[in-house]
Amino acid sequence: MLIVLVNASRRQRSGVTRRGFLKWLIAGFGAASLAGVLYPVVRFLKPPAAVSGAIGQVVNVGAVSAFPAGQLTPVTVNGQPAVVANVDGAFAVYSLICTHLGCVLAVQGDGLHCPCHGSEFSATGAVVTGPAKLPLPPYDARVQDGSLLVGPVDLSKASYPGWYTGEFK
Amino acid sequence: MSAVPEGRQSQAAAPGKRGFVPWLTRRLGLVDTMEDQYNRIVPRHATNYIYCFGGIAFVLFVILAVTGIMLAVYYQPTPATAYQSVLDISTKVQFGWWIRSIHRWAAGGMVLLVFVHMLRVFLTGAYKAPRELNWVTGVVLFLVTLGFGFTGYLLPWDQKAYWATKVGTDIAGSVPVIGHFLLVSLRGGEQISAATLGRFYALHILVLPAVIILLLFGHFWMIRRQGISGRL
Repeated sequence: MLIVLVNASRRQRSGVTRRGFLKWLIAGFGAASLAGVLYPVVRFLKPPAAVSGAIGQVVNVGAVSAFPAGQLTPVTVNGQPAVVANVDGAFAVYSLICTHLGCVLAVQGDGLHCPCHGSEFSATGAVVTGPAKLPLPPYDARVQDGSLLVGPVDLSKASYPGWYTGEFK
Repeated sequence: MSAVPEGRQSQAAAPGKRGFVPWLTRRLGLVDTMEDQYNRIVPRHATNYIYCFGGIAFVLFVILAVTGIMLAVYYQPTPATAYQSVLDISTKVQFGWWIRSIHRWAAGGMVLLVFVHMLRVFLTGAYKAPRELNWVTGVVLFLVTLGFGFTGYLLPWDQKAYWATKVGTDIAGSVPVIGHFLLVSLRGGEQISAATLGRFYALHILVLPAVIILLLFGHFWMIRRQGISGRL
């Protein structure tokens, strides 16, 4: 490429000067840098489904009969994975996000298992085996007209892991 | 400025110069102004890195303005939703953690850089006549920067924010004679409440930005009028 640019006869044939080439190169780097800055800005401004109306939004996750006693059933609440635990007719809903490093838990028998680092949680959201240290944050859940309604995570009941709240320890 | 090297002249707006910027410069009647700006020569002693701190502080201000506007899109300044909206920015909004982190780090960095810039000006004696007024605007700019930090600290509405603001406004309340007036004015009442959050938010995103932009304009205008101070 350099040889092409230096060679005057070739330059005349291709019409590309050294100055013109460098101009386009710098403009290209500039445009790429600008795109790199603008891309996160545009993504930031795009409202994620989970954010619009996530505050105080109550979701109907289905009929009570869909959650048989003694079973753990994964559901989605405001775009976030959660699990419904039916313990002898009493419903509890927990976040399905591991409190260790944020992986989505899988239902395994009568408990929850983290595929990333092997943390185990009981049907009540308590830690059975580490590395997770904190229990799963509970959602607000209640039965109305035969349907299970799930509200936002109750911050007063939740003990969040350090990475989630950052400086708020 | 005289003794401009050949080829650096008329970059802005030579009559025949093509391109958008020269065209705009001619249309706006800024040919002489731009000529003057382009042909300014930075004194050799001022090309030292210690002369960069003020400029870096300004770049940080621009970054803070952009990320601050972005955060204001999702932030909700009420006691019931402030904390949750900040959590949502950090955990649900795409790149939200990034934008918020930039805002926070740039905020700390700006306080640091403004202070270091002030130290440089002090130690090189750049505050002396005829630049006293620029020193005064600089001191006010430093205080405004601290005001940004103080008001922004409350906005996440967590325990640390609440108690830091309690302590900070208590200090304002300890001023003789007008202390209680200051405390009530800052808090919007005797206690820290929704009124405090509203006031701090308004100060943080409306009042202080307006003040700092006016002061920055004066600061930069004066440095252009008075020039960079001489060597040590």
